[in-house]
Amino acid sequence: MDFTVSEELHSVQQLAAQILGDFTDVDTLKRIESQAERFDPELWKALAEAGLLGLDIPEAHGGMGMGFYSLTTLCEEVGRTVAPAPVIAVLVGAAGTLQRFGNAAQKDQWLPGIANGSHLLTSALEEYGNDDPTQPTTTAQSMEGGYAISGHKFGVENACSAARILVAASTDDGVIIALVDPKAAGVTLTAQQVTSGETRSELALENVQVPAEDVVATGAEARTAIAWASQATRTAMSAMAVGLCDKMMRITGAYTTEREQFDRAIATFQAVSHRVADCYIDVECLRLVTQQAASLIDQGRPAADAVTMAKIWCGDVTHRVSQASQHCHGGTGVDRDYPLFRYCLMARQIELSCGNTAQLTGQLGQSIAQEYLAAAG
Amino acid sequence: MNIELTPEQRALQQEVRDYMKTVMTPELLEEMKNDELKEGGGPEFRKQYARMGADGWIGLSWSKELGGKEMSHVEQYIFTDEVVRSGFAYPFLTTESVTPVIAANANAEVREEVVGGVKQGKVVIAIGYSEPSAGTDLASLKTKAVKDGDHWIINGQKMWTSLANYADYVWLAARTDPDESKKHKGLTMFLVPTDYEGFSVTPVHTLGVRTNATFYNDIRLPDKYRVSEVNGGWKLIMGQLNVERLSLFTHGQVDSLYVDTCKWAAETDAPGGGKVIEQPWVQHNLAKVKSGLEVVKLICWKQAWAMDQGPLDMAAASTAKVYSSEFFVELYRMLLEVLGGAGVIAAHSPGAVLKGRIEFRWRVGSILTFGGGANEIQRDIIAMAGLWMPRTR
Repeated sequence: MDFTVSEELHSVQQLAAQILGDFTDVDTLKRIESQAERFDPELWKALAEAGLLGLDIPEAHGGMGMGFYSLTTLCEEVGRTVAPAPVIAVLVGAAGTLQRFGNAAQKDQWLPGIANGSHLLTSALEEYGNDDPTQPTTTAQSMEGGYAISGHKFGVENACSAARILVAASTDDGVIIALVDPKAAGVTLTAQQVTSGETRSELALENVQVPAEDVVATGAEARTAIAWASQATRTAMSAMAVGLCDKMMRITGAYTTEREQFDRAIATFQAVSHRVADCYIDVECLRLVTQQAASLIDQGRPAADAVTMAKIWCGDVTHRVSQASQHCHGGTGVDRDYPLFRYCLMARQIELSCGNTAQLTGQLGQSIAQEYLAAAG
Repeated sequence: MNIELTPEQRALQQEVRDYMKTVMTPELLEEMKNDELKEGGGPEFRKQYARMGADGWIGLSWSKELGGKEMSHVEQYIFTDEVVRSGFAYPFLTTESVTPVIAANANAEVREEVVGGVKQGKVVIAIGYSEPSAGTDLASLKTKAVKDGDHWIINGQKMWTSLANYADYVWLAARTDPDESKKHKGLTMFLVPTDYEGFSVTPVHTLGVRTNATFYNDIRLPDKYRVSEVNGGWKLIMGQLNVERLSLFTHGQVDSLYVDTCKWAAETDAPGGGKVIEQPWVQHNLAKVKSGLEVVKLICWKQAWAMDQGPLDMAAASTAKVYSSEFFVELYRMLLEVLGGAGVIAAHSPGAVLKGRIEFRWRVGSILTFGGGANEIQRDIIAMAGLWMPRTR
């Protein structure tokens, strides 16, 4: 057991914080947010040049090969700055899955370009009425030279600018994972405004023909791959939530220390300071379960329950810290000229994405029941 | 970053778990049915405690000079966690918290007498801090020690002196500077042998276990029983309380309640058919407990690991105390809900579920959020030390 953050990882974290800090001043964020897509190409380029897009990509494919844990460090820093950088959809959902489960040709074709920032591959895990990415309602029919895919995904990040979108679909013979070209016939992208303030896309697939070369995994391999993508995405979201919540809490600590009412800083009221102290406790709890999930995935160890618990905590803590931060700020917190609102919106977005607290608590409860019923015979 | 026990740490965990099964003899379980002896003090408890000493299990974290093994805090935590899980009334505060302070600060003769006795499993020490009017504001305590030649004359009363009914010594905080405005700067630590004239105990029956009020009436105590400098007691109290918290909120003691409740729910028929654990609301409670317990485990590991790296961060120590104490109470409630109406039946009454253990733990657990430093004080510390917020008033 060792909670040490290595020197190397510490440097990564500092580098990421510095670059992300440089690109997230209020004016830059406002400019990016007035665009059609909340994406900053210059920031993405700077991250690529620093090697940060390739943290988890093997050296043979132009990355740094530092493993999944280092990638969650980047996600945490993106959360801390609410930077317009789709690190989870691109680096975790798409590149992370592709590098672990794709074939050599696919890896050669896509990974170097993701690491150097010249290509965006995104991932689409969410479906209407289905919070379990491992059991997609989207279907795939085997056909000569590939698959024909039909169904709907929603809330896809950077779908318009992505070269491919990683999707999972169900066949009669289990799940497959494929890369869909957003320009292919039968693909319709429709803009969707979401809570985070981003414009994302609904991805409608109508008999979209995916050639064999774009099929990432089938059979048992695909089951493992989609489980990995789902677990890694939930863990990365929890890591991003650590950054978001830590920052919201610190903004609130500083604000209540400055803000005076009744001739004293409001932080000198226990009713106020204890609310912020509760955020501190919550953030530490979320950090611990997230670190556990990330380190298990990093080492290729079974992580299903650890990830579920991390995302359960993620949902509770984003909600509570966001609400407490807003509350302790009074009207200031809801003003869009003050930075807090972005954190609260992104926190809610993450809370409800890819499995929420209530749903995952139900799922965890079922798995506990199965475990003990099996043991009881 | 690798948040799993190493194979060696797992082996230690298993070794302690197996050993503790031999400590919890049928005779001891029988003895512990007596409420007065639940927290130790009976002949079978004394026998097993001494056996643990003889088998070399006491003082693992102590220096080799004191006969310890200089185990890391992580290993020490693994040991503590398993001992508490077993249900043995091991006197942690004596072995882990007070004795190292005595070893570092007492004079040679007393060190030999007390530290040697603890090592052999023959000595138990009760803690005498709180008084009827000194609780959270501990430094307002009034028990007095007045120098008389090479002796001290001690007068006063302590409250909540747990284990004092069978302990060999009380680790006593007393005021040695008559100027009460000096508060924490006027306190000195003493060891008071409980067989001295002028010492007496009366029981206090709480919601959970028996504790005591202790009285100090003109006790004439040799100066050798003073520990560390005159008026230098506060630092010792604070150091001791920080270590104390790590042995109060261990994972195994509540994890075992969760596991036993899951087993019970998987074996017990539900009224409408199927097993209790097949009902969604039961699964919901068990999942809530499991995700909360996971953090208890991680927070304990992180604290133990951090103590091996250097001094414990104040905000982190307070975070662990507040989270764990509030979660323990919540856990008892959620598991009792799963047990249903019969969850209220006390141990040894017909119909008691899981031997009434959770019913009993809930009653004992009602002290957790204020004991060892009230959670309001801990939140003040978190806001100041963790977030640099101003002192509240």
